[in-house]
Amino acid sequence: MGETVQLDEAGFECLVTTHHGEIYRYLRRLAWRAAEADDLSQETFLRAYRARQRLTPDANVRAWLFAIATNVFRNHARSERRRRAAHDTVRATRRELELNGPEAEVLAGEVRTLTETTIRNLPLKQRLAFTLRKMHELDYDVIGQSLECSPESARAHVFQALRKIRTTLNGHALPSTEPMR
Amino acid sequence: MSKPRKPQPCVQIEPELIAAATGEATAAAAERVQAHVATCRTCGDDFTRYRAVDAVVGTLRGETAPAADAEAARARLTARLADLKSRMVSYKVFPSPLGPILIAASEHGVALVEYLRGGAADSRLFRMEAVETQEGGGALDRLHGELLDYLAGRRTRLEWPLDLRFARSEFERAVLQATSAVPYGAVSSYTGIAGDVGKPSAVRAVAQALRHNPVPIVVPCHRIVGIGGDLVGYAGDRLGLKERLLAVEGVPTVYARSRIAREAMYHYDTNPLHQYCVPSCGTILTRPLGQVKLFASRELAEAVGLSPCDDCRPDLHPLAH
Repeated sequence: MGETVQLDEAGFECLVTTHHGEIYRYLRRLAWRAAEADDLSQETFLRAYRARQRLTPDANVRAWLFAIATNVFRNHARSERRRRAAHDTVRATRRELELNGPEAEVLAGEVRTLTETTIRNLPLKQRLAFTLRKMHELDYDVIGQSLECSPESARAHVFQALRKIRTTLNGHALPSTEPMR
Repeated sequence: MSKPRKPQPCVQIEPELIAAATGEATAAAAERVQAHVATCRTCGDDFTRYRAVDAVVGTLRGETAPAADAEAARARLTARLADLKSRMVSYKVFPSPLGPILIAASEHGVALVEYLRGGAADSRLFRMEAVETQEGGGALDRLHGELLDYLAGRRTRLEWPLDLRFARSEFERAVLQATSAVPYGAVSSYTGIAGDVGKPSAVRAVAQALRHNPVPIVVPCHRIVGIGGDLVGYAGDRLGLKERLLAVEGVPTVYARSRIAREAMYHYDTNPLHQYCVPSCGTILTRPLGQVKLFASRELAEAVGLSPCDDCRPDLHPLAH
């Protein structure tokens, strides 16, 4: 068809190339199983494709995709909760995420697992805010847009999450850190 | 057991302390925290602890899912996107001299041109299976412009790529192809098209196929008329549109041939007395045309041996012409 559509298609290809990896990793952090993250990331980009014409040229595409992904995950978490409640199935709590970073070995396994479990069991909004901020380093106003709350609330969610992690890790030896930056 | 209460200054500075320890504080806040921590042992410990938590979190940030997983997910996404694109049809409703017209196009071309009577919601687009609809799309505006030019006689061709996915069979597609070959300003017949597609006896099937033409105007089914020269049908019962489209192309039409005339014609519904009627006699006007014969004048009716009806007396109340 016409030039406009062609441009849209190429632009969208480019958008997928640039952002798919990060969005996938984000959802992989949130999801219980790898297959879920797969589905959810597809859902995110299919939604983005449907909505692409509403995207203005000066929009922050990364923030926009994170907002869609967050929404997709929240809907998924909601229905998952209902489904689990209905079937009362055994929960698969085992995370399939493989460790892949060089620092992974430095950290005592116990501390890492405790931290992960704590993050996983945070109230959803805290967990999302924490993940968006601490894992993907998004700005608080962007996080606020994703979570439909103010930047201040987004910040409060992240701090609450940090408090909980800190409390959980009480009594555990933590890696020493260099003096204040 | 109640926890020992933190002193007020410590409670107040806690948010800034967490921010400073995790690298999020403003310079001013960081200074305030520094000053406080220098004098308060408990908060100093807190600060160190939060620094350590931040380091643990930083380690988690370094973890990533295996690259192969992301690639596999990307490949599946590409397949699903291709599937979505193939089903996606964009549409828009435009005003035109012929009333509101819906134009819908897929990635392959124009799939639907539809005269709307009600709102867009009544469009056949929304009754199609395996289609995902989406409103808007810049390319549709260009098509609308060309269509307006065409209807105003400023353009004689709509060279649009077509997507005949809404044709219901290969036969229908063949009929549409053959119809596309009828040039601007020319007129062919259903019988002619049937011959063109190699099925000379399938005249009714041709008429049916054109009745379902998903892209009228672009595939010029308005140039196809009955073997007797009558306009036969268009867009349901909107023969006037057919006349107007032909008029744009300079094809003369006789008003009385197209729309007519039933209310301006004498009716004969088979009866033992061989009597013909005016259209206002009883319910005769609502009877299907297959059962009724129409006559343009009393003379023509009486020429085939009919006589005026005793009830409605066409001889005393003839139709005004």
